[in-house]
Amino acid sequence: MTAIQRNNTINLARLQSVIALVVLCTIIAILSDKFLTMDNGWNVLRQIAVNICISVGMTLIVLTAGIDLSVGSILALCGAITAGLLKNGIKLPSADLFIGFTLLGALLGGIIVGSLLGWFNGFVITKFKVPPFVGTLAMLTIARGLTMLWTQGHPISNLGPSFATIGTGWLLGIPVPVWIAGIVVLLAVFITRQTRLGRYIYAIGGNENAAILSGININKVKLIVYSIAGALAAVGGIMVTSRLDSAQPNAGTGYELDAIAAVVIGGTSLSGGKGSIGGTVMGAVIIGVLNNGLVLLNVSPFWQQVVKGAVILIAVIIDKGGNKK
Amino acid sequence: MKRSLPIFITLLSLLFVFTQCKQQKAKNGKKKMAVVVSTLNNPWFVFLAETAAAKATALGYDAKIFDSQNNTATEGDNFDNIIVAGYDAILFNSTDANGSVANVMKAKRAGIPVFCMDREINSTNAATSQILSDSYSGAVAIGVNFTQQLHKKGNYVELLGLVGDNNTWARSKGFHSVTDNYPDLKMVAQQSADFDRNKAMEVMESILQAHPDIDAVFCGNDGMAMGAYQALVAAGKATKVKVFGFDGAEDVITAIKENKVYATGMQFPKVMAETAARFADEYVKGRRDFPQKIPVAVELVTPKNINDYIAYGKK
Repeated sequence: MTAIQRNNTINLARLQSVIALVVLCTIIAILSDKFLTMDNGWNVLRQIAVNICISVGMTLIVLTAGIDLSVGSILALCGAITAGLLKNGIKLPSADLFIGFTLLGALLGGIIVGSLLGWFNGFVITKFKVPPFVGTLAMLTIARGLTMLWTQGHPISNLGPSFATIGTGWLLGIPVPVWIAGIVVLLAVFITRQTRLGRYIYAIGGNENAAILSGININKVKLIVYSIAGALAAVGGIMVTSRLDSAQPNAGTGYELDAIAAVVIGGTSLSGGKGSIGGTVMGAVIIGVLNNGLVLLNVSPFWQQVVKGAVILIAVIIDKGGNKK
Repeated sequence: MKRSLPIFITLLSLLFVFTQCKQQKAKNGKKKMAVVVSTLNNPWFVFLAETAAAKATALGYDAKIFDSQNNTATEGDNFDNIIVAGYDAILFNSTDANGSVANVMKAKRAGIPVFCMDREINSTNAATSQILSDSYSGAVAIGVNFTQQLHKKGNYVELLGLVGDNNTWARSKGFHSVTDNYPDLKMVAQQSADFDRNKAMEVMESILQAHPDIDAVFCGNDGMAMGAYQALVAAGKATKVKVFGFDGAEDVITAIKENKVYATGMQFPKVMAETAARFADEYVKGRRDFPQKIPVAVELVTPKNINDYIAYGKK
């Protein structure tokens, strides 16, 4: 396959998901005059910001032929940790010790815990050769349990106006969560396209043995990728917590599936090596538009799940058509 | 891999020793009560379970909480373990009115009394006694107040809980048994937000795009009421739209005091949990004549009587 041909195929695949999105938007716009408004546009973007953060991390992992089922739980734990640090600090009555946290300290605390848990995922996967599906499945349970321990099963609420800005504020006419998601996407695009790390990620997913033989330290790359995904889940957790002004112990349940759906709709191959951040963003937008549209049209909650599943299926089938050689 | 096996076993043993530390203190001769709760993923049920366990401990029992994770099969496993471990009584919050009957019968056959809290099971000869929250009547009371507040006309939105949950429909039906009698009271949207605060905020944001001119929102629990309220704040409509919840959770009680949320249906998890624990204690000490069902009324909490209430109960 020549370089030109490959370019054409990729463009065609990208075009397919754009077409799917346009068709979807057209249908909803015809049925509801409230859909194509500025307000609703921001609304959809703000709602998908969290999924975009998680999905970007998931894309990097899937490109290495891995998967991360723990992002929803890590999201909940890190959101709760940030909220807890901000509100209560750390108290050790036995040592008569109290550490208070500033907003920045609490945010860093959450993100550091997220990247450490992600790193631990990577460690288990590379060191003990545990399949990613199993290793991160274990982390899904562990992180959820840690969230329960940290919160004692109760939400942590009333976190103050400056923290609320992260999820609900506006900057230069654009919602803050959209800024955050935008920056995350740009950084990820830069990493995958312009850096050595990006090329290694594709190489590992394309053919792991070939990557090892060509001297790539695949364990190091995987550790980095899983840590990034953990940190991004933490960022998502902070946004969810800030939006609600409350860290919910059961936040993020099932988010891993939304993220995987966005990745798959975006045309990234679950066997690794093929796909792009741009595609995932398209996937997340399609899911967001669908969630928004079904509610705007007041579709029965019973039918919504059927429709969502069907649209995922159709988007992937169309995409497969575009990828045919 | 072979070399890591001893490490693995050591770590595993350490983990068990570590988590068992607390239980080690208990003396062997003590009687034991099990608290089986439908889920620990919701603060309301955490409160119910913790209160039951605390009451049992105060009465001199070893108490342990079992989480059924909203899954009747997991609940069955919990019951099996409890029967094998020889507990003296079970304080029980069921996952499903019909599905849980078999589990309770299992305990009954093993000679362990079961006391249901909050949620009913559809059998009158399985549990020793059922101390139940009357969701339907509570929702009727909310419906009446809702209709009055809206002067029998206006547009409203309903946020349902998990569509597969009994309580979702008990509350929705109770509410509609009142509001559906008023043709000028129009429900412009009915959507599910899974009892989840975040989902409720997102769903409400979208609904507000389609129906910017609503007068009130009825939510199947307090978590969703807080989520809906936050969406209204973001849209600048919080003062115009009245929010109604259900549960009596901490956030909403505070919000009613601050005139943010309008009303909620107060359930009494503390009363139910402590009654169940007390009954179980009496059973162990020989009492057998328990009423099959004790309904615990759900009380309407509004700005008028908010000062009589605290989270999950009365002052």
